[in-house]
Amino acid sequence: MSDISLINSAHQPGHTCLAFAKDGSRIYTGGSDSLVRIWKTNLGAEQEPDVAIEAMDGITTVAAGNNAWFSGSEDADVRQYEKDKHEVSGLVTTAIGVPIRCVAVDPKGQRITVTSDEPTVKVIDIEDTTKMFVLKGHTKAVRQATWHPSGSLLTTSGADGKIVAWDVSDSEPKNITTIEGIIPEVYDTDSADFRHDCSAVWHTSGQYFIVATRAHEIISISRTTWSKSATFSDPSCSGATTALALSHNGIYLASASTSGISIWSTQTRRLLFRYQGSVTAPVTKIAFSPTQNLLAWIDTDGVLTRWPDPIPSSSPDPVKLISVGAAVGIPKKRGTTPNLFGDDVEEKDDASKAKDLNLDEEDEYDATMGDLDDDNWILDDIGGGLQDDDGDAKWAAKEGIKEMVSVTKAQPPFQPGSTPMENKKRYLAYNMIGVIEVTDQDTHHIVNVEFHDRSARKSYHFTDHFKYELASLGERGALYACPPEASHPAHVLYKPYGTWASQSEWQYELPQGTRVIGLAAGGPPPTQSMRQKNDMDIQGNGNVVIATSDGELIFLTGGGVERHVMSLPGDFVCMCAGREWVFIVTRDGSTTMDGSQNLTGRLIKFDDFCMLQKDTVPIPKGHTLKWIGISEEGAPIIYDSSGVLNALPRFRIPFAATWTRVLNTNTLDRKEGKHESYWPVGVSGETFMCLILKGRQEHPGFPRPLIQELPLKFPFKRTDAKEGPLEEQFARETMLLDILRDGLDEDELTSTDISRRELALDKSLIQLIQFACKNDKLSRALDIAKLLHHTASFDMAIKVAGFYHLIGLQEKLEALKDDREDGPDKLEAQRERRRDRNAQFVPIPDNKRYSTFAAEPARPKPFQDFRPPPAIPRPGLERAAGASTKATGTSQITESSQFSMDDEPSFDFNAHQDIENSNYSQESSPDGKRKRFEEDSNAENDAKRRAVGDSAGDMRTAQARSNPFARKPGAVDNRNPFTKSTETNKSVHKSDSFFNKIDAAETEKPKRTTTAKGKSKDKKETGRQTTLFGLPAVPPPEKKAPGRKKKANVAEESQSQSQRGSAEPTAKPAEEKTSAESQDTDVTMLESQESQVLTELAEESQERTASPEPIDWPDSPAPVEPEESTLVEIVA
Amino acid sequence: MALPPSLRLSVTPPELELIACEQLIEIIPLVAMERTAFISGAFGPLRPPAKCKVPIWMATNLKLKKKCHIVPPDWLNVDFLQDRLTHETSQPEFSQLPFRFAEVAKVLLDVASDDFENPERLRSLLKDIQEARQAKSREGLSKIDHSELSLPNLCSMEINEIRPVFIKAMGVLSQLVREPEGRLPT
Repeated sequence: MSDISLINSAHQPGHTCLAFAKDGSRIYTGGSDSLVRIWKTNLGAEQEPDVAIEAMDGITTVAAGNNAWFSGSEDADVRQYEKDKHEVSGLVTTAIGVPIRCVAVDPKGQRITVTSDEPTVKVIDIEDTTKMFVLKGHTKAVRQATWHPSGSLLTTSGADGKIVAWDVSDSEPKNITTIEGIIPEVYDTDSADFRHDCSAVWHTSGQYFIVATRAHEIISISRTTWSKSATFSDPSCSGATTALALSHNGIYLASASTSGISIWSTQTRRLLFRYQGSVTAPVTKIAFSPTQNLLAWIDTDGVLTRWPDPIPSSSPDPVKLISVGAAVGIPKKRGTTPNLFGDDVEEKDDASKAKDLNLDEEDEYDATMGDLDDDNWILDDIGGGLQDDDGDAKWAAKEGIKEMVSVTKAQPPFQPGSTPMENKKRYLAYNMIGVIEVTDQDTHHIVNVEFHDRSARKSYHFTDHFKYELASLGERGALYACPPEASHPAHVLYKPYGTWASQSEWQYELPQGTRVIGLAAGGPPPTQSMRQKNDMDIQGNGNVVIATSDGELIFLTGGGVERHVMSLPGDFVCMCAGREWVFIVTRDGSTTMDGSQNLTGRLIKFDDFCMLQKDTVPIPKGHTLKWIGISEEGAPIIYDSSGVLNALPRFRIPFAATWTRVLNTNTLDRKEGKHESYWPVGVSGETFMCLILKGRQEHPGFPRPLIQELPLKFPFKRTDAKEGPLEEQFARETMLLDILRDGLDEDELTSTDISRRELALDKSLIQLIQFACKNDKLSRALDIAKLLHHTASFDMAIKVAGFYHLIGLQEKLEALKDDREDGPDKLEAQRERRRDRNAQFVPIPDNKRYSTFAAEPARPKPFQDFRPPPAIPRPGLERAAGASTKATGTSQITESSQFSMDDEPSFDFNAHQDIENSNYSQESSPDGKRKRFEEDSNAENDAKRRAVGDSAGDMRTAQARSNPFARKPGAVDNRNPFTKSTETNKSVHKSDSFFNKIDAAETEKPKRTTTAKGKSKDKKETGRQTTLFGLPAVPPPEKKAPGRKKKANVAEESQSQSQRGSAEPTAKPAEEKTSAESQDTDVTMLESQESQVLTELAEESQERTASPEPIDWPDSPAPVEPEESTLVEIVA
Repeated sequence: MALPPSLRLSVTPPELELIACEQLIEIIPLVAMERTAFISGAFGPLRPPAKCKVPIWMATNLKLKKKCHIVPPDWLNVDFLQDRLTHETSQPEFSQLPFRFAEVAKVLLDVASDDFENPERLRSLLKDIQEARQAKSREGLSKIDHSELSLPNLCSMEINEIRPVFIKAMGVLSQLVREPEGRLPT
């Protein structure tokens, strides 16, 4: 911004006027001395302007067309002059003895509007001045007339206080609307007020015009509603606004008032710059040069002031038609190269810069191109060179990001989850944590922060005088950034959610002239509610990352400590922060010729500021990045304008992760026949949370729409109805498991959650093996078997193979199993790999818990406690004398081992969180409550079984919580607990017959239900489930069908016998125990036999439908045609 | 209760509502909660902003405490009901609606009308549908004979409405029919 202005005394005091030639090379000024002076803009203050002396009376208006300029004077004549010359070329029109007030040339340069003290307005064709419309509607003199950028609309401002909009596109001009009460009524043509410029200044977008009101405000009036849409106000601007002008590209508005000359942004409607010199007399006309960074005005003293470079070079240029922020798109390129970006690139809300408008502007360019002497412009010797794709340099996007060679429009920086201002409202952030909404109140904003989980964080709102334009909602705090203004530099505000320290929020100021272009607040998710005092304070307030226009990436802690300043490797695009790193996307280099955005994603860790991942972001050519985010598991996710969601699941392995396609929204079933798009909010587990936008809508509106959940689906191509979904599910689950496994500690082998999921996966794999066997695809079966997680699952696979009489496969599977058993443990191998990795790279710390604060309560809350109540020793009710002493000591173990059978390890029925639960509960109806419960606990069983089989350590956690329903089994209940304590000891041994455990648990289940009905239902289910895998519940050898008898079982049986024998000495009263045990065994044997029969029946019925092989089973009344489908459901 | 004895046979609408409140419905919770055991089952966990299925009684309870938004069931929207209403008024048979639609719709509209688009219109549509169906069920009652009355797609509330008359009438009719049959052999 230079404050050196060129001042010329041009005319005598009185009414004056001013206009730039269309090429900006001349300024025409007229005054009450009836002279028009023609100033050359390239000369300084010491110049002798040409003078046009034809007028008889004071000049009231001058206007410039493409090849001519016009003057109107108080002698009632409108004269036409040749371009840049002072020779008159003709008389255009005359008013009948009254002064001309305004001449306005339309954007195409074909017609002029002439207003005078007559109440009519004339629209005259320049070429043929006899072609003329007369517009009637005003009741007094018409002071000003302005054209809409399209040239089809005309607005006139009358002394009667009316603004009238006319449609002049046809030969029959129409009065569209009359707006009253905006501009003042001025009847005295000699008054000072009459000289004020009350014209309606159309914005180049054509969406609204700006006018100075009688209340001394500057307001914009929307074209659609013809009502006030916004106000330009600033406390430093006061007094009547005497003149207004818009910059050539519509970014800036200049206003002249008694308090001085101000330049505003039309987007933010904030005061940007002020003219430092003083204004001595009321300014009558102000104008931006159409081709230069130059502002000129003239006042009633007849003084012409030229202010070169009113816009500093750090701000967008006032001339070039570039896309600045969200307000002005570049539809210009679109006309000629529509296929390059498709429709997706230009989604600015006013792509409405209607086509005709573009043409107009281009016409202007053509006309002016030859005279450009500004270095920024290419001198174009081909007419209309800007429309050609081979323009060898082009300015695009904000802040003068220059794209050399490339014609692909570079995607501007964006904040994930924010929307542009629409109807004075916008979202600054919308993610899985909450929403930041902003309401524009003209002078200030209201920021409203709401969280999805109101129990964890407290919603708040505040009045924002800085007009924050970027925000990030992190786990531990919200971060805001405001743009620099005349009165203050850019700053960043961090508001942590916690309540521990007063004044925990802090502000971070950036140097003058620097803008914030991206923000991210990260940190570990809180372990407890933020509304309570808890351990989160010691864990800190997370981390803050700021990207600035200086190419810096600034890292701060949540407490405001500056940690690190990194150089941005390229143009910044966007970023988001996870718990221990920030994911930033930049454009290294430029976009490519063929439409690729050329974006690179990096993960940078918070603790040591080292890079964890660097990879090109997979965006198809011609598409842009729409959103980035972090999944609940911590993996970076991206969503592009082609509608594909990609994830980086193995992000913890340094520099090795790859992008996985997790969802293609174009192939969704629900999209069939509908026109809708998906606005991402987050990814949680296997669901894609998004807002569904109808039609061409680009951004969610207000009120806030509900978040929809779409399941993730790998774009697998196999269409087989049974195997396809299973394979897809397996791949998807494996991805999630990989994330979890990578996050394990150095010492951990596995976690209960992981093994539970693995078990569920093994089940679906066994199903796949079954399908493969059925269809005789043996190599496929073998492939699948290699994917099995647990050694125990191999037994199952072997049984399936045996069932189909595939002896060869069976042997191969046995070999695989032996190999798995003998070879190094898979889990340990994985742990080794993790350790190796950690030795080479600094490990990523997981969410630390501080023992002093994070002590978990010993028991969960009352209604979330799914364990049985602690056993109360009741000596009086004990069967035998020595029992009571035992019971107290081992009550936990006893409890958990109640269901054990034979040599099987114990399970308890723990109802902790379970993904599968939701699946199960969906089917249940109100009267099906009972059933759902059982299914739930059924699902839980899996986890327990696995956990118990794994290690003693896991078992402890398993026992910690158990199901209250586990207490019901009346039949087994009053057995002597002692016997079981020994069995618990045994269960630490790793049992290889893992599926027997399932059966054991399931045959056990009926005991827990009290009604006969429930029991029978249960049994049936049990039968079905076992059937699938073609094996009986617990193998009592004598009951077994000879063909299906397994060596393993027998061996196991005998082994367990010996175990029991060995365990006995450890128990105290040996006789007591054996008796109890035998009793116990009897019961379970009975149970198992019963279930065995059921199993066989169900098996048989399934066989009928499923298997082609003839196997002779006894006849049974087994029903169920849909048996097989139910089976799939249950197991899945 | 001050109802005539004949009506006491029937369940009252509030009681039907109570039964319907056991049905599951989707909510968007605004608070987090672990999986919790209730007498009728364990529900949850609530993890905002993920949806969760809970019984209506729990949803209404949470809604009254402003702790959730209720996701309207797919049949409770203006388009669907309008479609059903035209079907109801143009076809002789009952249209297919959830068995307890009347109760569920009433409970949800009472408690969570702000979660619905255009609740007033929904109410009037439901009222229209209900009246159209009532007319049909009354007409259907005239076809009663001693052994059967077939009114497919009749909903719980409507069954409840016709129950007092129906039971009595059926009893009388079957008696009338059985008498001669019983006598014939003698």
